[in-house]
Amino acid sequence: MNLDPLSIPYRAGESVLRLAWVLIFLVFGNQTFGGFTGVGLVVVAWFLVTLAYQLVYYQRFEYELTDDTLDIASGVVSRRNREIPIRRVQNVDISRNVVHRLLGIAQIDLETAGGSSTEASLKYVSFEEAKRLQSEIGRLKRGDTSTDETTAEAPTERELFAITSKELALLGVIGIDLRLLSFVTVLLPVVAPSLTEQFGDPLVGLAVTAPLAAVAIVAVTAAISGALAVTNYYGFRLSRVSEELHYERGLLQRFSGTIPLEKVQTLSISENVIARRLGYASLAVETAGYSPNDAGSQSAVPLADRRRVFDLAQSVESFEDVAFERPPKRARQRYVVRYGIVAAVVVAAAFAVDRFTGFTFAWYATAVLVVAAPVAAHLKWRNLGYDLQSEYIVLREGFWTRTISVVPYYRVQTVVDSQTVFQRRRRLATLVVDTAGSSGLTSGATRALDIDEARASELREIVADRLQQELVERREQRRRERLDSIEAAA
Amino acid sequence: MDDTDPAGDGPLGAELEPAVRRVATGTDADTEGSPEERVPDIESLVGPQQTLEPGIQAVWILQGGISAAVLGVIAAVAFAFFSPGAPWLGGVVFTVVFLLAAALSVLRYRSWTYEVREDSLYLERGVVTRVKTVVPYVRIQHVDASRGPIERTFGLATTVVYTAGSRGADVSIPGLTPERADDLQNRLKQLAIAAEGEDAV
Repeated sequence: MNLDPLSIPYRAGESVLRLAWVLIFLVFGNQTFGGFTGVGLVVVAWFLVTLAYQLVYYQRFEYELTDDTLDIASGVVSRRNREIPIRRVQNVDISRNVVHRLLGIAQIDLETAGGSSTEASLKYVSFEEAKRLQSEIGRLKRGDTSTDETTAEAPTERELFAITSKELALLGVIGIDLRLLSFVTVLLPVVAPSLTEQFGDPLVGLAVTAPLAAVAIVAVTAAISGALAVTNYYGFRLSRVSEELHYERGLLQRFSGTIPLEKVQTLSISENVIARRLGYASLAVETAGYSPNDAGSQSAVPLADRRRVFDLAQSVESFEDVAFERPPKRARQRYVVRYGIVAAVVVAAAFAVDRFTGFTFAWYATAVLVVAAPVAAHLKWRNLGYDLQSEYIVLREGFWTRTISVVPYYRVQTVVDSQTVFQRRRRLATLVVDTAGSSGLTSGATRALDIDEARASELREIVADRLQQELVERREQRRRERLDSIEAAA
Repeated sequence: MDDTDPAGDGPLGAELEPAVRRVATGTDADTEGSPEERVPDIESLVGPQQTLEPGIQAVWILQGGISAAVLGVIAAVAFAFFSPGAPWLGGVVFTVVFLLAAALSVLRYRSWTYEVREDSLYLERGVVTRVKTVVPYVRIQHVDASRGPIERTFGLATTVVYTAGSRGADVSIPGLTPERADDLQNRLKQLAIAAEGEDAV
């Protein structure tokens, strides 16, 4: 099979656009170049050259979906032949931006567990072909190899979740990145001095400009994140087709993809401060396919009622209702000390600036931080927890964004317990339950922070043992299934 | 655990037996008890807690020495530049860093143990942060042996174990003699095969 013929002019257009900034530079930077007509000529010439190249690329790009592999032969100068085993495919994603939608073409991406980037990308095929590939790959993965489309029973599609406009609007509000806000508040004292010089009394200046700037920055952040949330998750729909989740989303750029349930590594339910107040949460399903910076694509439910999110999560992985066990109280003392030290350093720095530089301000205002330290410590401690269930370990961490990770023992890769010098003083340890999940770098939450050291080493062995038990059980099950199928055939 | 009875695993028993036998015959010296020549099993591959070769301390001290020397030179240049007449402070920096690194190397050596258990590799290490890691054999993707230039001059090698995990995806065991490293690599390979690594991800 070939790509869609429309991909030739589109790809040529893309490379012309990539050249655009050079052209702009030429037009404005160099008058002798010939102005707009000269540039126009360059654009046309470049377009023709790339068009020719893309024509060859198109002719030399072939793919074929067989019963158990996707074969891709590509390359103009250096040829590359690939066979991707269908069984190893983790996700199949289709994305279409506005232009793609006008032309009726789509980009299809295949993810496998190996490697750090997308395994294969077809740029571009017709939308119908993309849909066909997606459903065919899904069908072949289920082990249904009958090529006769009519007799193969169509798998029933069950809708699990569709975003309402209320939820979408809320997402815009809740989706404010609180980390960005905290960054802004850190930045403010740096920006403020230049503003305060406009006023006679620096104290008045600070009092006026700081809240103003804060409000402005929060508003801008909210507007941007709201707009992003709405365009990204407009028309979000999640459905289940036999053993796969299908999602669709996007206003301008449409995405649709599959998440294979049998390859799910961890589930994470996250709720930030505002969402928690309003009783909302979001659900992310992590598979081993995506690269770490692809976090957006894995979001299974961007925002929904907390109860509903838990129901959905439990339909994907049948964990029990969670009852968290918190770390011992001495962990909280550790945070009091830690935050207290940070607060003291800030106060001392503010005092030093006030005393030894020309810039004077109400340095004692930073003393609020010293009072806030125990509160912050308590909040951090309160939101920690773990729950050991028969098939899952559930971990919870974070105040600003609280993340609950559900890790099946069966998916555990390594179990690590570590103790820093400070943790050893308080007989605490951190247990990390590592899986092949992809957002390990961003969430970092599959750990039980600061639990009792004896309990940590106990848990380490329990988790490792339960993995072995699960393996034995699954092996047994597979053997039984094999025997059954042999008997059925006989 | 089921792993001790691999023959009971249907068609897998056939390909498993010769693989284990080959290694077991070559590694009698390191195994505990008397390995049965006829029916080698997982038990002949596992061992008690092991420590590293003492020579690794020299490797680490030398590495520390190199970093200390680099820091010392930088400090000497910096001091000579900013307050002329005090480049000897570079020597002080070198001595302090070197002594710290040496002490850390010795402590690090003492903290390091590893154990080839029945269904997982267990490691314990760390001076400032003590880390205990369990790597189940099913999760092993591949095992490497590596020998850096300093390690080579001291006749040592490192075994590196890779998993598909996202954090601390690879675990390395330094300070082994080349024979021990080869032996460990072979054992882990056999144990990973025996653990039926079909579900690595």
